[in-house]
Amino acid sequence: MSGLSPQQAIGLVARREFTTQVRSRSFAVGIVISLVIFGVYALIFQFIGSRTSSDSLGVTPAAQSMVPALQQAATVAGRTLTVVDVSAAEGAEGADQLLSGDLDAVLDHPSGWTLTGRDAVGSELQVLVSTVVRQATLDQALQAAGQNPATVAAAGAVAVQTLEPEDPERGQRLGLAIVTSVLLFMSLIGYGSAVAQGVVEEKSSRVVELLLSTIRPLHLLAGKVLGLGAVGLLQLLILGAIGVVVGSVTGVLSAPSAAGPALVAAVIWYLLGFFLYASVYAAAGSMVSRQEELQSLVAPIMFPLLLPFIFAVSVLPGDPRNTLATVLSFVPFFSPTLMPARQALGVAPWWQVLIAILLTAATIVAVVAVAARIYRNSVLRTGARVSWSEALRSS
Amino acid sequence: MIVLDIGGLRKRFGTRTALEDVTFSVRPGEVFGFVGSNGAGKTTTMRIVLGVLSADAGEVRWKGTAIDAEARRRIGYMPEERGLYPKMKVGEQLAYLARLHAVSAADAAAAVTRWTERLGVAERVGDEVQKLSLGNQQRVQLCAALVHDPEILVLDEPFSGLDPTAVEVMSRVLRDKADEGVPVVFSSHQLDLVERLCDRVGIIAAGRMVAVGSVPELRSGGVSRIDVVGPRDWAGAVPGVSVVSEDGPHTRVELAGASDQDVLAAALAAGPVHEFTPHRPPLTELYKDVVSR
Repeated sequence: MSGLSPQQAIGLVARREFTTQVRSRSFAVGIVISLVIFGVYALIFQFIGSRTSSDSLGVTPAAQSMVPALQQAATVAGRTLTVVDVSAAEGAEGADQLLSGDLDAVLDHPSGWTLTGRDAVGSELQVLVSTVVRQATLDQALQAAGQNPATVAAAGAVAVQTLEPEDPERGQRLGLAIVTSVLLFMSLIGYGSAVAQGVVEEKSSRVVELLLSTIRPLHLLAGKVLGLGAVGLLQLLILGAIGVVVGSVTGVLSAPSAAGPALVAAVIWYLLGFFLYASVYAAAGSMVSRQEELQSLVAPIMFPLLLPFIFAVSVLPGDPRNTLATVLSFVPFFSPTLMPARQALGVAPWWQVLIAILLTAATIVAVVAVAARIYRNSVLRTGARVSWSEALRSS
Repeated sequence: MIVLDIGGLRKRFGTRTALEDVTFSVRPGEVFGFVGSNGAGKTTTMRIVLGVLSADAGEVRWKGTAIDAEARRRIGYMPEERGLYPKMKVGEQLAYLARLHAVSAADAAAAVTRWTERLGVAERVGDEVQKLSLGNQQRVQLCAALVHDPEILVLDEPFSGLDPTAVEVMSRVLRDKADEGVPVVFSSHQLDLVERLCDRVGIIAAGRMVAVGSVPELRSGGVSRIDVVGPRDWAGAVPGVSVVSEDGPHTRVELAGASDQDVLAAALAAGPVHEFTPHRPPLTELYKDVVSR
């Protein structure tokens, strides 16, 4: 009878985790839900992008003088402006149309200029109207002072230029960055908690005692993490492939060349992030005996995942070189969701990526050592939650 | 001799002493019954044998050397807390557990078929464990202890919760494994069963072994009692004898210095004696005596 090497033990555990998980309904459902979420995101972005760039503005007789300038400014800004003649802003006609939503605002000129809306006036319409009115007033004043408005405007014009050529794929990169972040966030949360739940399942069903009578705790843990990590990777690749194919076919992804590196970065950061978070999740799982107790313990783990994720989808699109985001992308627990977003945006030089990878890898080594100790000390203890001092003691 | 030797085990949980100098050995081909009240230390001892717990002192030896992970993989174990993956199919689960004990895939498949048939759960191999009745889960649990063809069996309460048929099957299996030369240790509260099935018995109380031996050996080590059927009210005055019970013509005495011949003579002096037999206490009675001592 031959013995069982550590590799064989880990391999057996990993294979069980992998096949059980891939055959489970949650795997297929997870992919479908992810696709639905991405579909909804895409629709929302489409909607926001194409949102009413047309306004209808009521103009009273007193404000008629502004109409040509308003139309011209709207055309320059790429907006459609429908001008409707109304008798008065406060009058029955103007107010009714505002309340019914036929008009977005009414421009009047009783003594000063007023722009009346229902409960608010869209900021873009506000800017448009106030710029035009201010310019017109200014022009009149300049002419009264004997100046040529065109000369003054030319003297005050600011020409915008960039040192580096503008990236024609910027929009694409933005989309990729957001998709990458969302994908990594969901994978790390999903498969990290799968590790915790798997550990608790073995504890609550007591099968762990049978397992540990033949293999070492560390091998059981390693097999579980590797097996579930592989499932997460498979899901990530399936989603990535579907995304690239659908994106290319529909034309949403017009620059597939940018998708390749983004996917590679996503895989690297998924692996790093998974080993980091899975260790923490496994340690947390080993400290409780029932699934219900798990929630309170893993909730804090969500925080370091959520924070960079929020940064990645809210701050980076508007300000890719945000200093705080740059600094945070080097912090090991934040790197896995923040650095790949910066990479997708093309604002992370290779040496920054390398440093972040090395820092994360070093952290993984330390975290795995602590997590393995907690796991070894806690996994056979049932009943009350294992205290931190018991979980961390040596031996 | 492939003896399982348990020597001088000590284990403390905080300030509580769970085991103190627990020593006994199980010989090949022997069924060893491990009895004791709840919390006496049976499960702790078995967990230490399996390496699931570590002892503070003492050691477990097998084939003459301290037992290691490789040797422990040759043990068939049934934990007190039954444990199987509830959502895994019976057959796959047993094959997986066999593989974890270094059995090849082909041998594992054959062992699963053999043992599920033997224990009468063969038609359930395709079902999830959680769909089985508790009794059938117990049978699967025993299969799990047997699928890797173990060279030692350590079973914690294997009979609890079994119906009489299953008890018979389980007893048969344990006896057969012992006849193959496997040392079999099991714990149980069903002392009549232990007496019937076991070659030797170990009694543990409050973490200490208080008696080890075959049931006749335990009897000889204990007090001698004699059942007499004959005269009434004769034993009270006999020197070196204490009366255990008196019920009409039935008298049971305990020898406390006197010999059995002294007792016979005293009884005959009081009247005709119809029966005179040394009392052979069942394990239940021995257990009570030993534990209360």
